[in-house]
Amino acid sequence: MRIWMLATSAAALAITAPALADKGGHGGHGGGNDAQVQRGGGGDRTQARASHGGADRGQMRAQAQGGDRGQIKAERTSRDRGNRQMFAEGQNRGHGQNGERLRVRETAQGNQGNHGFRARGNDQQGVARLEDRGNRGHDTRVLNAERGNNARVFGDDHIRARGNARFAEGEKVFRVRDVDHGVARFRDVDRDNLFVRRVGWADGCPPGLAKKNNGCLPPGQAARYIGQPLGTVSRIAALESLPSAFRPLYLENDDYYYRYGGGYLYRVDRSDNLINSMVPLFGAALLGQPMQPYYANNYYRPSYYNAFYPNTAYDCYQYGYGYVYNTNCANGLIQDVIPTYDNGYGVGQILPSSYGYYNVPYAYRGSYYDSGDYSYRYAPGAIYQVDRSTSLISAVAALLTGGLTVGQPLPTGYSAYNVPYAYRTTYYDTPDTWYRYNNGYIYAVDPTTQLVTSIARAIV
Amino acid sequence: MNKRMISLGLAAGLIALAGCNKNQDGKEAAANGTEAVKKAGDKTIAASLEANSKYATLAKAAGLDLTLQGAGPYTVFVPDDAAFDKLPAGTTDNWTKPEGRPELTRTLTYSILPGTVLAEDIAKAIENGKGKAELATMGGEVLTATKDGDKIVLTDAAGGKATVTRADDTMANGVIHHTDAVLMPNKPS
Repeated sequence: MRIWMLATSAAALAITAPALADKGGHGGHGGGNDAQVQRGGGGDRTQARASHGGADRGQMRAQAQGGDRGQIKAERTSRDRGNRQMFAEGQNRGHGQNGERLRVRETAQGNQGNHGFRARGNDQQGVARLEDRGNRGHDTRVLNAERGNNARVFGDDHIRARGNARFAEGEKVFRVRDVDHGVARFRDVDRDNLFVRRVGWADGCPPGLAKKNNGCLPPGQAARYIGQPLGTVSRIAALESLPSAFRPLYLENDDYYYRYGGGYLYRVDRSDNLINSMVPLFGAALLGQPMQPYYANNYYRPSYYNAFYPNTAYDCYQYGYGYVYNTNCANGLIQDVIPTYDNGYGVGQILPSSYGYYNVPYAYRGSYYDSGDYSYRYAPGAIYQVDRSTSLISAVAALLTGGLTVGQPLPTGYSAYNVPYAYRTTYYDTPDTWYRYNNGYIYAVDPTTQLVTSIARAIV
Repeated sequence: MNKRMISLGLAAGLIALAGCNKNQDGKEAAANGTEAVKKAGDKTIAASLEANSKYATLAKAAGLDLTLQGAGPYTVFVPDDAAFDKLPAGTTDNWTKPEGRPELTRTLTYSILPGTVLAEDIAKAIENGKGKAELATMGGEVLTATKDGDKIVLTDAAGGKATVTRADDTMANGVIHHTDAVLMPNKPS
C-alpha cells in the first residue's frame, strides 16, 4: 500500500512540449484504457477532447488559486530530458476529503516549476482525480487516474496508487511502471520513453501535517511501529538514509542500521529488520528548504516565543504546531526547526545542529555552564542538559516560561504573588506595587494599570 | 457639614491605616516564609518526592527530575498516587514510553508554576479576582483557581478539577502543593 502523488509531474512535462503538437489523432488503442485525443494547434492549453468511455476529460481550464500564489510557478519548460526531480508535497488545509492540496515541484537543469494539484476525490468509477488550478486563472489541469488502476483519494489526506497506475491528462497517457520507495518510473506511452520521477511526501514532514498522518507519522501513534518490520513504515513514508547532518551521531554498526522518513529516525535491527527504536527528527530535512505558510499557525503559540526568538535583520522566526522556524529573512529558507519542549523534545532526543553554541539566558548562566561532560542549551521552554558524548538531551536543567516585559501588561496568569522565599521580605505586594517573579528576575508591577514597570531584581 | 468632613477624614485616615497594615501584613507573611525555607534547608522538590511514587517516576521519565533539583524556584502541584489511577487505563503506561513523552511533558509542565506561590497567595489572587484567579504554568497554558470553602480548587483546560489536599510543603527551591487529581492541558491541535 503506497501513498503517492503520481503523474502530475509527468503531465507537466508533456504539456510543455510544442513538439507534441503533431501528435493529434493518436488513437486506435484497444482496450479502452487509453485516451484518444485530438490536439489543436498551438500547444497544450487548447481544448482537447479525450474519449474514454464517453467522458470528456480533456477540458483544460485553469484558475488562479489564491493563497497559494506564492508557491505556484507554473513555467513553460521545454522538453528537457536532463535530470529531473519531482517532489510532491502534501499540504492539508483542513478542507476535508477533497480539499487536500498536493504540490509537485519540478526541478530540472535550470528550469523550475511548481504545480499545485488538488485532490478532487474520486469520480463515479472510484478513481482519483487531481486538479491543478494554475496560476493564471486560465488553465485547470485535471489528471484522472485511469479506470482499472488503483489510484484513489481516501481519508482526508492522501492519494494512494498501486504499482501500474496510469494517469491521463488530455492526450497524454503516462503509465507508471513501478513505484518504489519514492521513485516512480513513468513511461510515456506515446514516445516510449522512460522517465524516472521521485514522488511521495516531502521529506521533513512539517509538523502540522505529521499529525494528519499523510505519510508523516504522528507522534502519538508512532509507538505502534516499534517492533514492526521496516516495511510497515515504508508503506506510508518514503524512507531514506539519514540526513547527512546526523550521520556522525548515529553510526551504523553490525547490529543496527538507520533509516529516516516520516519525520523519524528509525533504528533497525539487522538480524530481523525490525524497528528497534525511533527518534523524532521532525524538520531535519526541511533545513535549506523554503518556509511554507502552512507550517505556521499561531494556535497554542507560547506567549514567550517572541521574547526568546526576536526577529532580527537576518533571522525571521515563525511558530507553528509546536515548532519554531528560523528562516533566513532574505530568501525565506529554513535555517532551523526548533521544537518547543512539550511537542517532541525530551530526554534522549537530539537538539538541532544550530545549538552548537552556548545560548543560556543570562540570568541562568551562573548556574548552567558547559563542562567536560555536559553542555547546556536553551530552547523555548527550557534549558537542556546535553550529554557531550552523544549530543542527546540527557535532562531538563530548568523550565522557563513566558517573559514579562517592562512596559507591557502583566500577562494572564500572574495574578498570584510568586516571589521566591528568599526575596519576600524585600519584595512584597503593597497597594502601590506588586512584585512578580519570572525567569530569574523579579519585576515590579503597577497594580492599577497592570503594567510591568521595571525589573526590581535579577536573581542570578 | 462638619460631621461629614470628620467622617471623610476618618475614612481617609482609616484607609491610610489599612494601607499601612497591608504593607505590614506583606512583610510579616514574607518573614514567615523565610523561616519556612530555612527549615527546609537543602531539601529540593525532587528530593522530597517519594521515590516510588507515580509522580516521581513520571517526572524522571520526562527528564524533569533534574529540573526539580535545580534552582527554580518552582511551585508544583503533585497529585497523589490515587489520582493517577483515576486516569483512563493505559495513559500512564503510554507516558513512560518515548513516544508518549511529549504528552507527558505537556501534562507535567501544566502543573508547575514559575516562582513560589503559596496557598495564601492563591487565595489573595482569588479574592482580588472576585472568586477566581488564573495561574500561568510552565507549559504555557493557564490553570484556574477557585475556593471551595477553605480549600483551593484548580480547574484545568477541560474542566477537570483538582483540590489541594495539603498545601505549602516548603522546599529549598520552591513549594509543593499536594492534590487529589491530575490536571490535563489542552490537547495539541
